[in-house]
Amino acid sequence: MVYPTEQIEELKRYCTKLSVIPEGDVTFLHTEGLRLPAGCEPAVCDALLCPVPKDGYPSRLFLSTKVVSPYTRNWNCDNRRIGERNWFAFSWKVDIKDPTLTQLLVAHLNGFAKEK
Amino acid sequence: MAEEQLEVVEIDVFEFAERGEEVPHAKVYKVRIDGETVRVDTPTPTGELLLSKVHKRPCAFELIEEFIHHENAVVEPSESVNLRKHGLKGFITAHKEIVNISINGKPYHIERGKRTVAEILLKIDQTPEGYILMEEQDGPPLPLPPNLPVEIRGCEVFHSQPQSGGSS
Repeated sequence: MVYPTEQIEELKRYCTKLSVIPEGDVTFLHTEGLRLPAGCEPAVCDALLCPVPKDGYPSRLFLSTKVVSPYTRNWNCDNRRIGERNWFAFSWKVDIKDPTLTQLLVAHLNGFAKEK
Repeated sequence: MAEEQLEVVEIDVFEFAERGEEVPHAKVYKVRIDGETVRVDTPTPTGELLLSKVHKRPCAFELIEEFIHHENAVVEPSESVNLRKHGLKGFITAHKEIVNISINGKPYHIERGKRTVAEILLKIDQTPEGYILMEEQDGPPLPLPPNLPVEIRGCEVFHSQPQSGGSS
C-alpha cells in the first residue's frame, strides 16, 4: 500500500524515524521514537501504525511497551510478533471516515488521554 | 558636510536621557530592556521588534517605555517608538494578564494561568465530548487530557480534531 507523500511527511513530525514494515497483506508504519501525550510513561516509545482493519478493529496502534497512562487501558494484545519484534496494543476503536495518517495516529494516542 | 558624516556610530539612549540631552542620529542605538542592553539599528523600531530583542513575543508580553521623570507608556506591538524621544531611558516588559493563543491557526484571547481543556475549546465553540484538544509544544500536536489543567502563559498553539476513538 502506498501512502500520500504529504501525509507521510506530516507523520514524520511525531517520531524520530519513520519506515514501513510490510508483513502479509499489511504495510505497517514503523514510528521510532514516537512522542506520547503528557502523563505517559515512558514519554517516548516505538510504535507500528496499522491504518487498515486488523484484529476486528478498523485500525490499530501497536506499541513497543505497555505504556502507563493516566487511564487504565485494556491491553488485549501481548507480545505480537511483527517485523521480528514483540508489540503490544490496547483495545481502542477509532472510527474516522477517510482520516489522514496523522489524524489516525492522534486518535489512537488520545486513548492515553481520554477516560473512555 | 553631509549629515551622514556627523552621524555617531553607536549611542546609548539611557546615557543621553540621564544627561537630559537630545539623542543624536546614530547608526546603532543601545537600548535597555529589563536592564539588558540591546542594539537596534533603526531610530523607530516597533514594539514587537524591541520585544524580540529580549526573546519575548507580544502574544505573552507587553512592552512599556520608561521615561526619566517616571512616566511610563505601553507600546503596542505594531507601534513605532522614537528612540530619540526626549527623556526616554529604556523599556521594561510585563507579562500580560490576557494573552494570545492560537487555535486551529486563528488567534484568540484568554486569561493567563491554569485553564481547562473545555475553556480553551469553548473559544472555538467546541467541547471535550466532541473534540480532542492538541497542543504543539516543542514538537507535533499531541492530545491533552481533558481532566488536567492547561498552563497558559501566552503564545500557545492548539489544534482540535473530532473525537473518534473509544475503548472497546
